[in-house]
Amino acid sequence: MQVIETIDSQVKLQEVFSTKSGSVSQCDRENCWYIDFAGKVSRFDYRCLLLLKKAVYNIDIEALLLKNAKSADIEIVFICASDHFYVLSTLEIIALKELLQGTFTMLELNHIIQDRLYRLAV
Amino acid sequence: MKDIMRAKCLISAEIESLINQQIRKEAQSSAIYLAMASWCDRNGFDNSAAYFFKQSDEERHHQLKFFKYILDMGGTSVSPDITGLKIEYNSFREIFEDALDQEISVTQSIKSIAARCHKEQDYVTLEFLNWFFKEQREEEYKARRAIELFEIIGEQGTGHWEIDKHIGKIQYDSEA
Repeated sequence: MQVIETIDSQVKLQEVFSTKSGSVSQCDRENCWYIDFAGKVSRFDYRCLLLLKKAVYNIDIEALLLKNAKSADIEIVFICASDHFYVLSTLEIIALKELLQGTFTMLELNHIIQDRLYRLAV
Repeated sequence: MKDIMRAKCLISAEIESLINQQIRKEAQSSAIYLAMASWCDRNGFDNSAAYFFKQSDEERHHQLKFFKYILDMGGTSVSPDITGLKIEYNSFREIFEDALDQEISVTQSIKSIAARCHKEQDYVTLEFLNWFFKEQREEEYKARRAIELFEIIGEQGTGHWEIDKHIGKIQYDSEA
């Protein structure tokens, strides 16, 4: 995984996963993740990242695509007890879901690598 | 890169989700047994009502055990909502047949969690499940024995009264 520098040069982030529309990086020192998406970088701890995953995964994208109503094509992704929320169009929701799916796959892969290589070797 | 997910939670998201489903199942069992206790009490089967009240408490205890396990492992337990309960039964026997079905379905669902644990090599959860397997042996035994009373005693004459009298005496004391 590629090491990237952040605005604050003291904090080293490691990119977990990225797509054309955004990226997720992990900060080992702060035990958190930085999500760069929809024009802003937001910090998520373990609980908030799982809540974001749940909120995004629970959106019925098919229903949004089939919706005929004249209301705006916008969903508010609100996460309880978190400083962040997203106001996203359907296309952005699809992009965020793709970003999160990739992120959780990479985190799972990292877990397998840690388990099979490092934890056994030490 | 640090494995933050693992540091925060011992069980995987899949196991957490399966145990949350089990919490719902146990809560549903507890509520069903309460509905059965209500029916038995209304129809004059006092011993059976007491038996189902006790079963309902046990299921609630199982539910809490699963609930606390997820929390202890660093996961998120979900308190379930239970709807659509059956409150009327066609016969005294139907209640015990439904009770056995319920227990078989609980055993099956715990088995599927164990299968997932084997796949993930989650021996910690597997060890935790062992207690439930032993408990299910007892639960299914009791439910089967209750139905057998209908066959042994028969439902004619004072049969129902006799069956009700024996329901409370069913015990599982196998050392196996």
